[in-house]
Amino acid sequence: MEQHRNVYIKSATQISLQEPLSERWLESPVWPKDRYVRSQNPDFRSWLSPLESRRMGNLMRRALATSLSALAAATIEMPGAIVTGTGLGAIENTEIFLDQLCREGEECRRPTHFMQSTHNTVGSLVAIHTKCHAYNTTYSHKSVSFDSALLDAFLQLRRGITSTALVMGNDELTPSYFNILTKAGYVGLPGQVPAAEASVAMVLAAEDPQEALCRIDDVGLAYGALRIDALPSEFDAVMVGYNGALANDTAYDRLLAALPTKRPVLHYKHLFGECYSASALGLYASAHVLAQGVAPAMLRRDDGDGALEVRRLLFLNHSGAKNFSWVLMSRPENKEL
Amino acid sequence: MKDLVTELKEKTIAVLNLDEMKPEDIGNDDPLFGDGLGLDSIDALELIVMLEKEYGIKIKDTSAGKDIFKSMNTMASFVEANRVK
Repeated sequence: MEQHRNVYIKSATQISLQEPLSERWLESPVWPKDRYVRSQNPDFRSWLSPLESRRMGNLMRRALATSLSALAAATIEMPGAIVTGTGLGAIENTEIFLDQLCREGEECRRPTHFMQSTHNTVGSLVAIHTKCHAYNTTYSHKSVSFDSALLDAFLQLRRGITSTALVMGNDELTPSYFNILTKAGYVGLPGQVPAAEASVAMVLAAEDPQEALCRIDDVGLAYGALRIDALPSEFDAVMVGYNGALANDTAYDRLLAALPTKRPVLHYKHLFGECYSASALGLYASAHVLAQGVAPAMLRRDDGDGALEVRRLLFLNHSGAKNFSWVLMSRPENKEL
Repeated sequence: MKDLVTELKEKTIAVLNLDEMKPEDIGNDDPLFGDGLGLDSIDALELIVMLEKEYGIKIKDTSAGKDIFKSMNTMASFVEANRVK
């Protein structure tokens, strides 16, 4: 019988509308008020010289800053795999390139925006920067892009194919794409959380609970319908992505109502906003909640008030009520509350 | 010639996103690649595209770029001799 290895999240960092590369949001969060909020950038000069960063757009700079921070926090210089999830890829460069193509024709197109307008730009950039020649792939499946990347890394770690993996979720949102998504009814609806951006990096390691934020016990993806009996049944709380849009929230209501065990419900998009990589921020938040063993009251969606002790957490995500994902996470056995 | 050199410096800074540089930071005879300004092969492509868009110069022999882009003065001499707009 195949021996499965335990998988841990050693570190997790974010750049979002909250204070970048920080967990201060757990105590004093930014409460977003606008319909469209862009991420707070850190001072990138800590990671990149002006000469190095001059060709990079926001997405690339953020991905590099979160990745290098996560690797440093996990005291790992080079990961055994780099797996990225992104819904839109380097959309800002893609827009610039296509706009120039439409206005000025195909001749004399500048190479930088063309080279850096692919979905795997970020994964390649991090690999070049860390000199990592290991497994490197990018998933783009709308709101389950990050979840797909996580499943890939989890299975490789679980089966001993690699010992460490850098898993990323990166999406930027340009004003023009915000308008398109608003017309499509994905963001910008009355009462909906703001449209936002996300850059998350986390380092996963097998059989290494030392200083880990949490353990990942299971990851799953489903298309069409989610079989509730396939979900884990023992957990203290559920983390979901309510965002204020009726169709999105109704899908979560149905999932939660079908769970055989009723548990307190936590949410995160009211703090981080909505985008194709929002689930990466949800998993990042879940990991830090488990690391401290307590979910602050502001994350509670249920009727309960006050902070909630959490040792085992089920993370649920869906995209258009067609693609579903779940992650079961728990506090490492060596962490006492 | 002096005005063209300054113009090329300004265009180079803009097209290569050298945000923290000013034209006066680049010496007329400073090497642009390697130990000088530190530009690389992608920058060379950007400069080739810039010369075509701004001055109508098509560089067919890419190996000539090494001499053309040696410094701002060599680039200005080449533009002066070959520009069609």
